Amino acid sequence: MKRVVDVNIPLGPIHPCFKEPARLKCEAKGERIIGVEVELGYMKKGIERIMKGRPWQEVMFLAERVCGICSVIHNLVFIEAMEQISGIAVPPRAARLRVIANELDRMQSHLLANFSYCYTIEHETLGMYLLDLREQVMDELERLTGARVTCAYIIPGGVRCDLRKEEAAALLASLERMEGDLRRYTGMFENGPMIALRSRGVGILTPDAAERAHAVGPTARASGIAVDCRMNHPTYRQLGFAPVTRPDRDNFARVMVRFDEVFQSIGLIRKCLTDLPNGVVRGRGVCTAGEVRYSGEAPRGELTYFIRSDEFGRIVEIQIQTPSIMNIEACCHEMIIGSDSIADVTATFISADPCIACTER
Amino acid sequence: MSLLQRIKNKVRARSIHVAYVDVGSCNGCDIEVLACLAPRYDIEQYGIYVHNNPREADVLLVIGAYTPGWEEKLAMVWEKIPSPKAAIAIGNCPISGCLFNRRETFIDPPVRKHIPIAAEVPGCPPRPTEILQAILSVRDSVFFNWEAEHP
Amino acid sequence: MASSLFWYVREFFRAEWIRKFLFARTAPLVTPPHFRGFPEPTGRTCQHALFCMMACPAPGAIEVVHAGDGWMPKIHKGHCIRCGLCVEACPNGVLKSGRILETMEREGTSLIFSFRIAIDLELCTGCGNCCTACPVNKEADAQMGAGGHSSNDEVIMRVQDGDIVVIHEDKCTGCKTCEASCPNGAIRIARILEGSQEPVPEGVQ
Repeated sequence: MKRVVDVNIPLGPIHPCFKEPARLKCEAKGERIIGVEVELGYMKKGIERIMKGRPWQEVMFLAERVCGICSVIHNLVFIEAMEQISGIAVPPRAARLRVIANELDRMQSHLLANFSYCYTIEHETLGMYLLDLREQVMDELERLTGARVTCAYIIPGGVRCDLRKEEAAALLASLERMEGDLRRYTGMFENGPMIALRSRGVGILTPDAAERAHAVGPTARASGIAVDCRMNHPTYRQLGFAPVTRPDRDNFARVMVRFDEVFQSIGLIRKCLTDLPNGVVRGRGVCTAGEVRYSGEAPRGELTYFIRSDEFGRIVEIQIQTPSIMNIEACCHEMIIGSDSIADVTATFISADPCIACTER
Repeated sequence: MSLLQRIKNKVRARSIHVAYVDVGSCNGCDIEVLACLAPRYDIEQYGIYVHNNPREADVLLVIGAYTPGWEEKLAMVWEKIPSPKAAIAIGNCPISGCLFNRRETFIDPPVRKHIPIAAEVPGCPPRPTEILQAILSVRDSVFFNWEAEHP
Repeated sequence: MASSLFWYVREFFRAEWIRKFLFARTAPLVTPPHFRGFPEPTGRTCQHALFCMMACPAPGAIEVVHAGDGWMPKIHKGHCIRCGLCVEACPNGVLKSGRILETMEREGTSLIFSFRIAIDLELCTGCGNCCTACPVNKEADAQMGAGGHSSNDEVIMRVQDGDIVVIHEDKCTGCKTCEASCPNGAIRIARILEGSQEPVPEGVQ
């Protein structure tokens, strides 16, 4: 069947709403969008090629720089994969500290994603509130790890530095304050009628379509699919983790799932802090040869590393599968189709929280 | 100094429009630039506005290590900015290629080879305060008396 | 719509909002002391172990250069990613960055290097270039000839019957001079980094 297209509208690669370069080619009929193609290729650096033949102390930093927003989870998944290969045991205190760092990172990533969404739908007040809250999370991350972004906190056999008692107390107090603020902002988003007009019923992703496009992370959970790699992680199991889902499938649900997960992260950190085991934070262990496929839950969804290493722990082969590529697919081929206006395209695209840097590496 | 020049200096010092272009970074510097918008750092109190539109920008923040996808395109973006203009390299990537400047890579740093860079902010990623200071330093070094120095 | 307006009016009439609006002041932008900045010298003497250069993940970020009579690490801004591995790998505490050095001393953490020599006998021609180039070999046996033969048992490696034999792997300092001198790429040094912690008993420090 011949498709009648009124106008082809390219969005990007430099666009006020996109943090990163990607081009969306929208085919519009009148104002209605009937097809979207995404054009990538502005960020390809060849990280996997650079990683080959290098020991963990170099690959760890490259893995962090696959994605700067969710750097802790890349660090965690790579190091845990190396630990599985080499049979290195992690001290219980270090395992809990890893969860704290990971959840703080998830909080800041989700807050940034929600800021981007609010900024895209031109609700700058709420966006700035969220960005201010994110700065507080960054402060906590900095106090724990020593850096704001790309913290390099997790190393084989443990973490780089311990959390002192007074720092733990400060973190708890700060979580209390942040939770109160966040509850107010979530209420603003949930009850705002203007926001509802822009968000509810826009960018519908049905569960069937989500499965067809292999959507993961908050995008899938907002369509009612309870998929979360943290359910299989031993430390999270001890903490009694259960994924957050929402049934209503639209932009609103995706943003609300992220808000809910920030609350959940606050709960998880609190649980970690209340019964933090004593002991060392670094065990010994040398990386050796082996092959493993290991997954972890990044803020955007499932992140998988396939690693093969030689006898001295150098990487022979590595493949990274990042969540954004599936979410961008779901976004462009399922969510945006049938949008009522071009303005909804950017909002829907941002609501899936695409990360171009980790898609292309 | 003519009166016109004095007025221009005064106005330009309080109104700097910024566009940023990501030529292949890890996103770490992007979010530090975004963090500058936060009320904590409050970039707008210095008269700096982030528009992300090259045609109305004065300062271009270049982030990233120049991937092949940006050949020709970065120069096009640079030409679209009206004079007086300045480009600032944010982070290690545009300065040296950071960790990606190894064997087998696709990138082609430094960005200095492709467009003129007025200031560089080292760090991976730099703190928002460092980015802020760099933009303010460009304000004084490039935009002050621009007409007198470029007859 | 009316409810929305009402909501925002209520939001902007909160006492806290009005106070913030009237007395807003940008917080002083200070870098907290726990931030890992660029490494700085602490004043202790550099022993030229070069572990900082070996641990550094960024190309061309740190160099150990002559400074007066001794050596001193030099950080290149624009290459350094402020990860702080050089601070942790240094056995003498020459560098400091943020509070990494204090934490290491308080918690007894360290990063330990060990070096392994791997020789691909398929590629090795037994020329002995690596044995003569090795600076440790030179110290152990100053008489070592161009063929890499030696009667001294203290050398790291030597050529015996046309094949290379590694005797003392533990003496390797990881400088990779042999790798550079090998015409065939047969010898490779693995620099293995391992974290460790020996907790400091309370009150000792």
